[in-house]
Amino acid sequence: MQYTAGTSVAGAARVEGVKYDEDIVKMFLIASVTWAVVGLLVGVIIALQLAWWPANLGLPWTTFGRLRPLHTNAVIFAFGGNIVFTGMYHSMQRLLKTRMWSDTLSRIHFWGWQLIIVSAAVTLPLGLTQAKEYAELIWPIDIAITLIWVVMAVNFFGTLAIRKVEHLYVAIWFYMSFVLVIAVLHITNSMAMPATLTRSYPVYAGLTDALVQWWYGHNAVGFFLTTPFLGLMYYYLPRISGRPVFSYRLSIIHFWALVFLYIWAGPHHLLYSALPEWAQTLGMIFSVMLIAPSWGGMLNGLLTLRGAWDRVRTDPILKFLVVAVSFYGMSTFEGPMMSIRAVNLLSHYTNWTIGHVHSGALGWNGMISFAMIYWLVPELWKRPLAHPTWPTAHFWLATIGIVLYTVSMWAAGLTEGLMWRAFDDSGLLKYPNFVDIVNQLHPFYWLRLVGGLMFLTGAIMMAINVFQTISRPSSSTAAAA
Amino acid sequence: MSKKELNQVLGHADEADGIEEYDNPLPNWWLGLFYFTIVWGVLYGINYHFVAHNSEVKTLAAEMADADAKWPRQAEAAAATEVKLTPEAVAAGEAVLTANCVSCHGADMKGGIGPNLLDTTWIHGGAPENIVNTITKGVPEKGMLTWGPILGPEKIAEVAAYVISKNHEATGTPAVGEPAAPADTTKAGSPS
Ligand code: HEM
Ligand code: HEM
Repeated sequence: MQYTAGTSVAGAARVEGVKYDEDIVKMFLIASVTWAVVGLLVGVIIALQLAWWPANLGLPWTTFGRLRPLHTNAVIFAFGGNIVFTGMYHSMQRLLKTRMWSDTLSRIHFWGWQLIIVSAAVTLPLGLTQAKEYAELIWPIDIAITLIWVVMAVNFFGTLAIRKVEHLYVAIWFYMSFVLVIAVLHITNSMAMPATLTRSYPVYAGLTDALVQWWYGHNAVGFFLTTPFLGLMYYYLPRISGRPVFSYRLSIIHFWALVFLYIWAGPHHLLYSALPEWAQTLGMIFSVMLIAPSWGGMLNGLLTLRGAWDRVRTDPILKFLVVAVSFYGMSTFEGPMMSIRAVNLLSHYTNWTIGHVHSGALGWNGMISFAMIYWLVPELWKRPLAHPTWPTAHFWLATIGIVLYTVSMWAAGLTEGLMWRAFDDSGLLKYPNFVDIVNQLHPFYWLRLVGGLMFLTGAIMMAINVFQTISRPSSSTAAAA
Repeated sequence: MSKKELNQVLGHADEADGIEEYDNPLPNWWLGLFYFTIVWGVLYGINYHFVAHNSEVKTLAAEMADADAKWPRQAEAAAATEVKLTPEAVAAGEAVLTANCVSCHGADMKGGIGPNLLDTTWIHGGAPENIVNTITKGVPEKGMLTWGPILGPEKIAEVAAYVISKNHEATGTPAVGEPAAPADTTKAGSPS
């Protein structure tokens, strides 16, 4: 049983009389494209600052220390968040055969989320921070995030309650884990006693604080950059390729294994720290056990494409998907390896971690988002892309950019890790001057900048393409998109 | 699994926006990998904590013992190193100073971030053993590095010799090569 593939024909079955809320999907899509360009641009700026310090401009607001959290918040919560919401609002309505429960809550969610992003973009350069990685935002913004999240969750479960199907497709399970777990993580990690409007004291102290922070930090990766994106994969990959999902059984088993194991893996960020060693061991072994559940997602993605490989050669959207799923598999193998004590001894504090982060972030989150955007724009606006050949160019720019980024950071990480631990014949540090090591890294920083620039260029091409497509008057031949 | 069971659609498509799902069995190698990582993880944990009674503290202690055997302890070596005011030592010390110290103490040694080395004031003592001690341990609270592990006792003795040779007045030592000097070597020891 197979339906027409690679066209804009919506799924085989449709309920009559349901009018989906397409506007909210369009709003989130435009927001993701915009924030993608902003977040990547800030990434390129901080990459330049590491290669060439005068780019700090000597102003407190533009120094690396303040722009770095701006970059991470912009790419994860603004770009990543908005693209996940785009996909959720688009696919949920179709999978559940119902309009969202409340259009008002959808809009409060949209504008609230954008407002949170803007307030982050103002407060972080001003130096207002709680100094917890990925949870830097000050307490009033944390409260706003909680409220908006609750609005979104009520709408999400409200829509589930009024659904017109019995069976819940696997993508919905992944979204559900995102909605629930991120709420728990955010509230637990952000607990603080306000002192002034912009300052607060965390309720946890010392080691407890560190453990809660990295329980949060790792699961932000697990439940913000992994499970909702797997949900997107499970909807868009079979829809775009027109192929049946390889294995339902695998999807259920790897889902439960993934959500169960992720929660325990946080201490791999605290190896060789004051954290009791049994907790470190737990973090390490649960991370190693994560390989197979993660690869379950990759397998289900790649094997679903069986029978569509001929089209991968010509269709840039499928190309983006294949590379995304492959990088997901790559970084979820690398992560567990880095969780092993002896490996982490070398990799921790080095640029290797940065390479790992971006092979996941650019390769997996970035590429799958681009595939979605290129497929959704003609669907939603019912017209062909303004520049149909650009996505292929974007694909190659992005792919080569990722390779330059990750390879240069692996090389830099190994170089510095090995130089730090080298001794000379008399038992002294071989490279006692930190600056000597930094000088070795310098060429790699430039190389990373080139990779980042290529990735950004591709994203700007996408933004131009999207905005020119949607600002053109809609044509009557649109459905041929 | 017989071939017949492969690629059978579940028939949920009308409840999944037209997306069909096969109910294929889990690939054996995938299951094998999953079981292997679980068994390996459990065995690693049991072995690390309960059989080998390993710990990071123990690993560090073993590495330190190895290093001690291979290279004698810094402090003892430092105690044995004398500040020799020979022209060779002073020349070598100048090179060490230029490479490591001038960024704080100034190219003319008259201070900058760190204090003047040519005046008569010594915050941490001006005797050769005091100077060696200050360099070896550093003054971390004011930003001066702990040079002991970085330079090693020999270079520290050399750079101390150079500082002393530039500042006889304050250290009360004779100039290099002056014949009348009562002693041209001074035993320098780390007081610790
Ligand atoms: C044009 C593309 C990008 C460039 C040039 C770039 C550059 C950078 C740089 C220079 C850093 C700081 C590294 C350091 O402190 O040594 C960084 C950190 C980070 N970036 Fe990016 N980035 C890009 C895209 C992304 C994307 C798309 C994401 C996520 C979806 C992302 C997530 C992160 C995270 C999580 C960190 C913090 C890593 C850590 O603390 O270990 N970046 N990025
Ligand atoms: C099974 C999957 C994974 C495991 C076990 C894992 C493990 C690790 C480890 C061991 C570190 C280094 C911790 C340190 O030395 O400080 C790390 C860092 C990181 N990983 Fe992963 N990783 C996985 C997948 C991913 C994926 C798919 C992404 C992104 C999409 C990602 C994003 C990050 C980030 C952002 C950091 C930096 C955290 C920081 O700021 O220090 N990881 N991961």
